[in-house]
Amino acid sequence: MIGRLRLAASALGLALALVPSAHAEPALPPPYAGAYQPQGVDEQGLWRQMDEEERRFAESDMVIRDEALNTYVRKVLCDTVGQDRCGATRVYIVRVPWFNASMSPNGLMQVYSGLLLRVHSEAELGAVLGHEFGHFEARHSLEELKARRSGTDVLSWALVLANLAPSYDMVRAYRDLQLTIIGNFYRFNRDQEREADGLGIRYLNSSMLRPQAAAQVWERLMAEFAADARAKGLKKPRFDRIPFYSTHPPEAERAATLALLARPDAAQRDDGATRYRAALAPWIPQLLDDQIKLNDFGASEFLIQSLAEGGWTAPLWHARGELHRMRGAPRDLANAATFYGEAVALDPNHAEAHRGLGLSLLKTGQPGPGQQALRRYLTLKPDAPDAKLIGMMIPQEVPAP
Amino acid sequence: MNFRPIFRIAALALAMFALTPTTASAHKLRERGVAVTIADSPLTVTPARDWNRLDGHIGKHVESWTLDGGQLNDVTFYAGIEPGKPLLRERSKKREPLPKFSAATLLVELPELLETTYRSYKQIADFRVVNVQPARFLGQDGVLFTYEYVDQDELTRQGEANAAIIGGRLYMVSFDAPRLHYFARGIEDFRRLVETARLP
Repeated sequence: MIGRLRLAASALGLALALVPSAHAEPALPPPYAGAYQPQGVDEQGLWRQMDEEERRFAESDMVIRDEALNTYVRKVLCDTVGQDRCGATRVYIVRVPWFNASMSPNGLMQVYSGLLLRVHSEAELGAVLGHEFGHFEARHSLEELKARRSGTDVLSWALVLANLAPSYDMVRAYRDLQLTIIGNFYRFNRDQEREADGLGIRYLNSSMLRPQAAAQVWERLMAEFAADARAKGLKKPRFDRIPFYSTHPPEAERAATLALLARPDAAQRDDGATRYRAALAPWIPQLLDDQIKLNDFGASEFLIQSLAEGGWTAPLWHARGELHRMRGAPRDLANAATFYGEAVALDPNHAEAHRGLGLSLLKTGQPGPGQQALRRYLTLKPDAPDAKLIGMMIPQEVPAP
Repeated sequence: MNFRPIFRIAALALAMFALTPTTASAHKLRERGVAVTIADSPLTVTPARDWNRLDGHIGKHVESWTLDGGQLNDVTFYAGIEPGKPLLRERSKKREPLPKFSAATLLVELPELLETTYRSYKQIADFRVVNVQPARFLGQDGVLFTYEYVDQDELTRQGEANAAIIGGRLYMVSFDAPRLHYFARGIEDFRRLVETARLP
């Protein structure tokens, strides 16, 4: 109870601090200062280090380079924070299946592909990107660098110890460590997170997008973690183990704050959900595939269901079938066959769904229809990577009726 | 915000542990022409050249070999995985479960089993099965498949694996190496090694 009171009080305090009178003036972002250049040795050094990291990062195999997708995500960022601010950033989409985005002090923004799967509209994506941009504009990483310089000492010691170690894995462990500690420069404290939240919502308030969407992002994410914890039989979700969440304010506080700060008269604005769905449509099958193969049943099932709120599609049914077939209990296989069946009913040319259907039927003791589905798969996709092996599972000649 | 803090602690603990001299003798030479058993299983191989067995207990029936180090070329034997068990040891059975091999798993699903294991163990997203072919392995009908993935260190690796289900257990050998130079250099040595694999 006390905790809840404190929560409410801090949310209210933040709201009051950011908006002198919550009803009179909507929260708007401060005027933009223009292209910022680093000041002082600490900041210049940090920027140089990040510039070097960005050169390496731009070549990384993890970066998704599709032009249309990059243009679109950048457009959402620009629509949120405004054209002048957006000029200071470079956006890189990385294929990592988690909810995360980050921004380096020199203006490098990373957007994880897992984030794109989890937001449902331009306004929601803008809320997360705007939040990250808020860290950049408020230059939180410099404060953190100064505060956490001791982190670098830890790193130096780890390097010395790693060099003594005989195995290559140790060098790899060192590299992970380095990433973690560089990552630490962007681990912000709660006050900084609150400030970034405040800035993020102000950008949305002054944009054409619906600022109320910001609270939805956190509410859905909390529900996903809860679903995941339930499926794993855990008592409660561990928010602190999720990258984006480890340092962020409690979600309840956050959702409350964001709802408070959102401009009330903007509630009727378009959140760009239709445009978002259209732009992401070609990517959804791959993003779903990346998610369901993480063997995270609860979260994957939740994500599929929540995407299906906008209507079931063949890729969604197919993903659900794959999820259940891969878990592989007999009841899962029966369910999987039903889901694949829904997928091929919506899209009779969905080759992968025919494959899944065939395998599920074979495994539940229905070889006849199973082989028929596999045959259809091969007709639709004769050059599939596993065509030869699947071909061996089908009798060569169809028995005469 | 970024990577799991547990990594940092684990890496530090590892670094500390590395100071103790015992780790130096952990790996073992596997000499040319000498038949050896894999992970205390009935599976034996007779290497045509010297290999190093890496000492990392990544699974009950699993053993890793290398020529130049696990990041440059890695052969992993999965010698008799029982139904209901994952390929590798799970970091946490409850929080980070791995996909399980089951009695109902089909040959054509084995590439998928390796794929989902890699994806969930390494927390990576970019993994593609390139080709799947029927092939004999350990004297039985099996599957030979190739794949490509971007590993945690942001390097693209290629892989090739042979697998078969024998007596209800999964036997598989995989070769993983960076796409640049190392895969092509090591693949023939790997194939020669696979040819010598025998079950009694």
